[in-house]
Amino acid sequence: MAISQPVQRPSGPVTAPAPPRGRRRKDDTALALLFIAPAFLGFAVFLAWPTLRGIWLSFTEFNLLTPARFVGADNYLRMVQDPVFWNAMVVTLQYVVINIGLQTVLALLIAVLMQRLTQSSLVRGLVLTPYLVSNVVAALVFFWILDTQLGVGNQIIAGLGLERIPFLADEAWVIPTIAVINVWRHVGYTALLIFAGLQAIPPTMYEAAKVDGASEIKMFFRITLPLLRPIMALVLIMTIIGSFQVFDTVAVTTQGGPVNASRVLQYYIYDMAFGRFQFGYASALSVGLLVVLMVVTVIQYRLTRAGSSDLA
Amino acid sequence: MALMTTDATPADATEPEQARTARPGRRTSPGRVLAWAVMILFLLFSLFPFYWMLRTALSSNNELYAGAESWLPVGFDTGGFERVFGLQTGEEALAAGGSGQSLNFFLYLRNSVVVALLITVGQTFFSAMAAYAFSRLQWRGRDFVFALFLGGLMVPLIFTFLPNFVLIKQLGLVDTLLGIALPSMLMAPFAVFFLRQFFLNIPREVEEAALIDGASKVKVFFTLILPMSSAPVATLAVLTFITAWNDYFWPLMVSYTDSSRVLTVALGVFRAQTPQTGPDWSGLMAATLVAALPMLLLFLVFARRIINSIGFSGIK
Amino acid sequence: MSARPTPRRRRLAAALATLPVLVAASGCGGDQGAGDAQVIDYWLWDSSQQPGYEQCAQAFEAENPGLDVRITQSGWDDYWSRLTAGFIADQAPDVFTNHLTKYPQFVDLQVLLPLDELEATADLDPADYQPGLAELWQGQDGHQYGSPKDWDTVGLFYDRAVLEEAGLSPDDLADLEWNPRDGGTFEQVIAHLSVDANGVRGDEPGFDKENVEVFGLGASGSGGDNFGQTQWSPFTGSLPTWTATETNPWGSEFNFDDPAFQETLEWYYGLAEKGYMPRYDTFGPSSDSYQQFAAGRAALALNGSWMISSFASVEGVELGVAPTPIGPSGQRASMYNGLADSVTRFADDPEAAARWVEFLGGTTCQDIIGESGVVFPATPSGTEKSIQARSEAGIDVSAFTDHIEDETTFLFPVTEHGADITALLQPAMDAVYIGSEPASSLTEVNEQVNRLFDYG
Repeated sequence: MAISQPVQRPSGPVTAPAPPRGRRRKDDTALALLFIAPAFLGFAVFLAWPTLRGIWLSFTEFNLLTPARFVGADNYLRMVQDPVFWNAMVVTLQYVVINIGLQTVLALLIAVLMQRLTQSSLVRGLVLTPYLVSNVVAALVFFWILDTQLGVGNQIIAGLGLERIPFLADEAWVIPTIAVINVWRHVGYTALLIFAGLQAIPPTMYEAAKVDGASEIKMFFRITLPLLRPIMALVLIMTIIGSFQVFDTVAVTTQGGPVNASRVLQYYIYDMAFGRFQFGYASALSVGLLVVLMVVTVIQYRLTRAGSSDLA
Repeated sequence: MALMTTDATPADATEPEQARTARPGRRTSPGRVLAWAVMILFLLFSLFPFYWMLRTALSSNNELYAGAESWLPVGFDTGGFERVFGLQTGEEALAAGGSGQSLNFFLYLRNSVVVALLITVGQTFFSAMAAYAFSRLQWRGRDFVFALFLGGLMVPLIFTFLPNFVLIKQLGLVDTLLGIALPSMLMAPFAVFFLRQFFLNIPREVEEAALIDGASKVKVFFTLILPMSSAPVATLAVLTFITAWNDYFWPLMVSYTDSSRVLTVALGVFRAQTPQTGPDWSGLMAATLVAALPMLLLFLVFARRIINSIGFSGIK
Repeated sequence: MSARPTPRRRRLAAALATLPVLVAASGCGGDQGAGDAQVIDYWLWDSSQQPGYEQCAQAFEAENPGLDVRITQSGWDDYWSRLTAGFIADQAPDVFTNHLTKYPQFVDLQVLLPLDELEATADLDPADYQPGLAELWQGQDGHQYGSPKDWDTVGLFYDRAVLEEAGLSPDDLADLEWNPRDGGTFEQVIAHLSVDANGVRGDEPGFDKENVEVFGLGASGSGGDNFGQTQWSPFTGSLPTWTATETNPWGSEFNFDDPAFQETLEWYYGLAEKGYMPRYDTFGPSSDSYQQFAAGRAALALNGSWMISSFASVEGVELGVAPTPIGPSGQRASMYNGLADSVTRFADDPEAAARWVEFLGGTTCQDIIGESGVVFPATPSGTEKSIQARSEAGIDVSAFTDHIEDETTFLFPVTEHGADITALLQPAMDAVYIGSEPASSLTEVNEQVNRLFDYG
C-alpha cells in the first residue's frame, strides 16, 4: 500500500505536546471516520455482511427456503472431488488467459496509437462505443453474427474461400470466441485507462529521445512501458478480477456447452444456486472462486509492485 | 502507484496541445501508414456489430432467417423502432414477431435516468470522501480498512445478490427506484481504489499551503482536492453511469410494476419470451441502439473534457 | 439461463384484448385502479398467451367483484429467477404458470399449496381434462399441486412447395415408418429431401454430405435437457418396450442404459453423419429446427404444437404438419406434456387465489384460450375450439390431436431432482451427438442419475 507519509504516531496522552497544526496532521481519526462513514456503511451492509453469511452457508446444506443445516466441511470435500468443478476451474483459467492476454496487448496498442497518431476525441469516442452496450446485448449480437451457417461472420469467412468455423458450437473454439466477444466490449475502455496513463508521460521525454535518434519502437520499450507500470498494474488487477467472473456471455450464448467446454466457474455456481437450489454447495464454490481471486491478486500485486507509489 | 507521474507539473497542463501537434513524426512514413491501417481495422472491428444491429433493427423479423446472408436490411421495416417506442398495437407487434406488451418508453427512460443519476452521484461522492480519508488523512487502521475495501472487489456477485434482495425487501424498498439504486449508491470498491490513486498523487505542498492558511481539512477536500481531480472524478462518474444504466438482473428483481421499471428491464420483452424461439431480433436491436443513445450523447458531450484532461489537468 | 426445457409457446396474431389491467394496476399495492379490490397476482412467461389470459381475467373480475387479477409476464429465463427470488423474499405471486420440470422441486421446497385443500379447487376432477393431464400434477404425497391449463404433442412441420419440388406429396408423409437399423421409409424420405450444394439429393449417388444446402430433418440440439422431446423422443417412444423411467410420474430409475435406447440414439444422431440432419456444430449452439426451417435449410422440422403459430408466420411457406413416424412398436408416439397453474404459499388470500385457478381451468377461460388459438387448452371443449380456430386459419392440426385420440402419447417424465438430472444428461448427450462419446457412455451416466435417488 502506498504510504507516502511516515507511520502515524498514536494520539494517546503520551504523545508529546506538539503544535496544534502538526497534531492535526498526524491524526485525523475523527474526521476520517466521518469521511468513510457512508462508504463503510455501504461496504458493511451490501458487501461484507453478505460475504460473511455466504462463507457461513458454505458449511451448510441450504436450499434457500428451508433453514440451513450445518454439515461441516462436506461441501468442500465434495468440491475437491467434483470433476465438473475442476473442469470449470480449467475452463475459467483458459478464458482469463486468452481474454486478458488479448485485451491487454490490444488495448496497449490502441492507446499508444491514439497517443502517437491522433488527438481526435472522435476516435476516442468511437473506441469506447462497444462499452455502451451491456454484456448481454454484446453476447446476443455476436451470437447472431457468429452462427456457423446463418451468421455474417461465417459468411465472410466462406466468401474468402475458407472453411466455416463453428465458433460457439465447437469445444475447441468456444472459449476463445467468448473471450474475444468480451474483448470487443472492454478493450476500448481498457485502452482509455491506459491512454490516461500515457498522457501523464511528459512529451519532453519523447522529444529528448527523438533528438537522440531513438525509433518509435525503442521509445515504446524504453519510455512508455516503464512509465506505464503503475497504471498497467491497476488495469490488470481490475480486468483480471472481472475476467474471472465471466457469466453473462456464457449464459446468453452457450449455457456451458458444448458438453462442458464453456462451463465457467461463475456459471456453474449460478446454476447450482438458482437452477439446482444447492445454495450451500454453491457458496462453497464461491468461496473457492474468492480464494483464487485473492491469491491471483496478491501475486499480481507483488509482481507489479502496484503498491509502491512513484511519489514515495 | 501513480496514475500521474511526478513530472505532471502544472506546466504540462498548458503545454501539451501545442507540444503534441508540433511533435515530429507527422510526415507520412510507412510506419505511420501501417499504424493508421491497424487503427482503422480496429475501429471497423469495434463498429461493425453496430452496423449489424442497425441492419437487423431495420429488418422484418419474419424474413430475417431466410435473409441471413443479406448485408442490407431484409424486408425493410421500421417496426422494430416502433415497438420500442410503444407505437405499434399489440396485434401488429405479435404479427411482426414481437411481444405485444405495451411499452411506456418515456416513463422507463425517466426511471433509468433517475436510477443512474442516484447511483452515479451517490457512489462517486461517497467514494471520493472515502478515497480522501484513505489517501490524505492519517488515522489508525487506515490501511487495514482499505485492504478490506479492496477485498470487496473480489467478492463474487452471486454472494451478495440474494441477501441484498432480502434486505431491500425488509426495508420496504421493493418496487422503488431507491431500492434499485441503494446497494450501489454508497460505494464501489473500484471507485474508492481509482480515486485514491489520484488523490495520492496530488502534491503535499498544495494541501499544506492551504492548511497553513488556516483551511480545515474538510474545506481542503471540497475546495482543493475535488476541483483538482475533476477529470478523474468525471471519468469515474461517466463509467459508473454506463454501468448503472446497463444493469439488468438487479433491477429485474427489485422492480415489479411500471412505476419502478427501468429501460433495460422494460426492453427485456424483446429478448426470448420462450426458450425455443429466438428473441424479437429487430425489436431487440432497435431497443439496444435506442438505449445506448443517451450514453453516446453523454459521452460526446463530456469526451473531450474527460480524456483530454485526465492525468494532467489536476494541478491548476 | 439454466435448463431450457419443454413447452414453449409463442406468438400469434391473436386477438389482443386490452392491457389496461397491467398498466392501471401499477403501484405496489396495486389497488388504485380498482378501489378496494383485492389483488391476485398472476405470473406467466409467454407473452403471446397474455392477451388471452387478460380476457379471462376480465371475465373473472366481472364474476367476482372485489377481486382484481394483475398479470405479470417475464421471459422464460427471467421468469424462474424472479420466482426463486420472490419465494425467498416473500415477494412471489399468488398464482403462477408452472412447468413439469420445475414443480417437483417446488413441492420439495414447500412453496406450493395443495389445491385439494382449498375450497374452490378441492373438487378438481381429472376427468374434466384431456386424459392424464391432471395426474401429472399430483405429488408423491397424493396432493394436487397444479390445475391443468393446456397440453402439447409434437409433429413434423414441412413446406408443401418443398415436398412438391422433391416429387413427394403430403400423403407420402402420412404413414412413415422408422426402425433403428436402416431408418425405414422415414430415413428414405429425409434422405430424398436432403440436397447438397450441387443440387444432388441425399439418395442419389455423389451426394456431398459435407456440403449440404438443405437438410432433410432439422435438429434442435442433443435433447439432453428435455428428454429429447423435439429430438429423439418420438423414436425412443415408439420402441416396443422402452420408457424413460420405470414408472411415471415419480419414477426413480432411469433406463438410459437400455441397449435398444442406445441403439436408437446411435441411429438418430447418426443421421447427422449421413448429412440428412445438421451436425451439432453445423449451426449455432441454440439453433433450433424452427430457425433452420425458416432459413430454408431444413425440409422437415420435428417440433411441438406450441410452435404452430411461429411456423405459420414464416414468410412464403405453405405449411403442413405430418404425424411422427410409426416405430418398431407398430405405433406412432409423441411426448405429451402440459402446463398448469399453481397457488403459492405466499398468497395473501389462498381461497381467492384458488378461485382464480378454478376459473383458469374452467370452461369459460379454457374456451377463450382455445379461441385465441395459441395453445391447446386442457379441457376437451377448449381443445375443440382451438382446432376450429386453426382450421379457420387454414392449418390442419390433426397430426397433433390424433395422438390424443389414438392414445399414442407418453407422458413427460416427472421425477425429483429434475435440475440435477439435466446437469448430468445435457453434457453427456451433447458428447454423443458431437460424436466424441459412443451412446454406450450413457450407461455410466444412467448410474449417476439413478444414484441421485439413493439419498431420497
